[in-house]
Amino acid sequence: MKGSVIFSILLGLILFSSPVIQEPCSNVSMLYGTAYAEQDWKTEFDDICGRTQDAMAYSPEELRKLVERCDKIKPLIEKLGETERKVYLRRLEMCRELFVFTLESKEKK
Amino acid sequence: MNRLLFGVILVIVSAAMVSAQGGVKKKRPLPDEFGRVIINNNSEKAGLAPVVFNHWLHRSKFTCRLCHVDVGFAMKAGTTGIKAADNARGFYCGSCHNGKKSADNVQMFEACSKTAVPADKTRCMRCHSLGKNVTPKYDFAEFTAGLPKGRFGNGIDWEKAEETGVIKPVDYLEGVSIKRKAITAQKDFALSPKLEGMPEIIFSHKKHTLWNGCELCHPEIFVGVKKGTTKYSMVEIFDGKYCGVCHVSVAFPLTDCQRCHTKQVQ
Ligand code: HEC
Ligand code: HEC
Ligand code: HEC
Ligand code: HEC
Ligand code: HEC
Ligand code: HEC
Repeated sequence: MKGSVIFSILLGLILFSSPVIQEPCSNVSMLYGTAYAEQDWKTEFDDICGRTQDAMAYSPEELRKLVERCDKIKPLIEKLGETERKVYLRRLEMCRELFVFTLESKEKK
Repeated sequence: MNRLLFGVILVIVSAAMVSAQGGVKKKRPLPDEFGRVIINNNSEKAGLAPVVFNHWLHRSKFTCRLCHVDVGFAMKAGTTGIKAADNARGFYCGSCHNGKKSADNVQMFEACSKTAVPADKTRCMRCHSLGKNVTPKYDFAEFTAGLPKGRFGNGIDWEKAEETGVIKPVDYLEGVSIKRKAITAQKDFALSPKLEGMPEIIFSHKKHTLWNGCELCHPEIFVGVKKGTTKYSMVEIFDGKYCGVCHVSVAFPLTDCQRCHTKQVQ
């Protein structure tokens, strides 16, 4: 009995978090990001900075969110070892500043 | 600007450039030296020869974006601050040169390591080579013999080499690059291919993005809206700013006026 309750709770959780029943619009995950553990800054970094080429396709609101997400992982990168910190802070900076640049360009229009 | 007037200015500027170059006796680099970077923040201090990095070999195999965005090399010689330890940890040169990864089915020899076994010395000297009598694996003349010729710089038309598929620069490095969607889906939203205010200049946003990636140019090189500056002068470009960041030392050089100013300079 107890086992099946736990089982259904688990099943529910799995289904809930599965992509199948998530909103098809990718903007949802784009805007809020996915929850990530501290050591997972890399997944978050890849997701944000893999979008630079499409910068022009985002709305100002979306761009602002991307900039915010950059700012959120910065403290995590600052905690890394010397080399990784140096390399990834530069990469993050380049990516963040591009979003800021595109945002400013859009807002001017 | 009136076309005739522009032509006259071109001639005057060219003359000024030529005489300025004569003044400082700055000799034009030989084709194999064009795009060569000497890195020596710590090598000599550590008792090793300075490092010699050649763009011609590397750019035939990889895009600018791969190294300058993904690997994170700076766009000015000596400013990245590469340390032997960084390389040994698998960053910078070591993101490729780790003795494991391969490109074109050739394993990329390992970069710096602590071990000073005599056998390693030849390996160290492949990079720490300035002033040493090192025979490179790739001979410039031999390597470039099959590539389309250009007038200046490396003497190679790199754009054509890529277009015709003679070289196929790789844009992705496992463990370093981020998987991106192909950019082809995006239209060349550019400004019209010609720059505003100066109708004779060719500049393709789309092509440059394929080579360089947006974040290499914005906002570090082209601040654009931020300062409301969209005007830059040829003098500043010659000084290594704007287009000159790349077109002085690595991409086809500024002496090739017509490649940017479509109208024939007399
Ligand atoms: C294999 C990696 C690699 C590739 C590919 C590459 N570069 Fe570089 N580039 C470097 C390194 C390393 C430096 C030196 C950085 C340092 O000294 O801190 C450099 C330096 C430069 C500089 C500064 C040169 C100077 O004299 O100050 C420019 C400009 C440049 N690269 C442009 C380009 C362009 C344009 C491309 C594509 C056509 C390109 N690079 C491709 C690794 C690369
Ligand atoms: C993106 C990958 C990549 C990076 C980053 C890279 N290289 Fe290379 N490099 C190569 C490949 C591939 C070759 C060809 C290897 C071979 O055929 O043995 C090569 C060859 C060389 C050679 C040998 C040339 C010859 O003819 O013997 C030197 C020297 C060299 N690299 C220096 C450097 C230095 C210095 C750095 C860092 C500042 C660097 N490379 C960064 C990929 C890379
Ligand atoms: C793929 C190219 C490459 C190879 C091979 C290589 N190095 Fe380096 N090494 C570099 C670069 C680039 C630097 C930074 C140069 C500078 O700023 O002086 C460097 C710097 C160094 C330094 C300077 C001190 C420091 O902490 O940065 C030492 C020591 C060093 N390397 C040792 C070695 C030894 C020992 C070997 C052979 C086992 C070796 N390197 C092979 C590229 C290479
Ligand atoms: C080789 C450098 C280069 C690359 C790569 C590049 N751009 Fe540009 N971009 C320029 C230049 C030059 C201009 C003209 C305006 C200026 O002078 O600042 C420009 C203009 C722009 C503008 C208009 C700025 C304004 O003043 O309104 C935007 C937005 C922009 N680029 C975004 C991008 C995006 C997004 C990418 C990648 C898809 C990209 N750029 C790639 C050089 C570049
Ligand atoms: C890499 C591309 C490129 C090359 C090569 C190039 N130019 Fe330019 N040139 C530009 C750009 C960009 C501008 C500025 C356009 C603007 O903002 O209106 C410019 C502007 C000029 C102007 C206008 C006045 C001024 O000083 O801004 C003159 C004259 C000129 N160039 C002459 C030359 C001559 C002569 C050569 C060859 C020695 C040359 N250019 C090579 C890109 C180039
Ligand atoms: C980040 C480096 C970079 C910057 C900045 C840059 N270029 Fe280029 N450009 C390249 C590379 C790499 C190529 C490929 C050909 C080569 O290497 O010779 C190229 C090719 C070109 C070509 C020939 C291909 C075509 O588009 O028809 C023109 C013309 C040109 N650039 C003009 C400009 C002008 C004008 C500017 C400034 C507004 C500029 N470039 C700024 C890197 C750059």
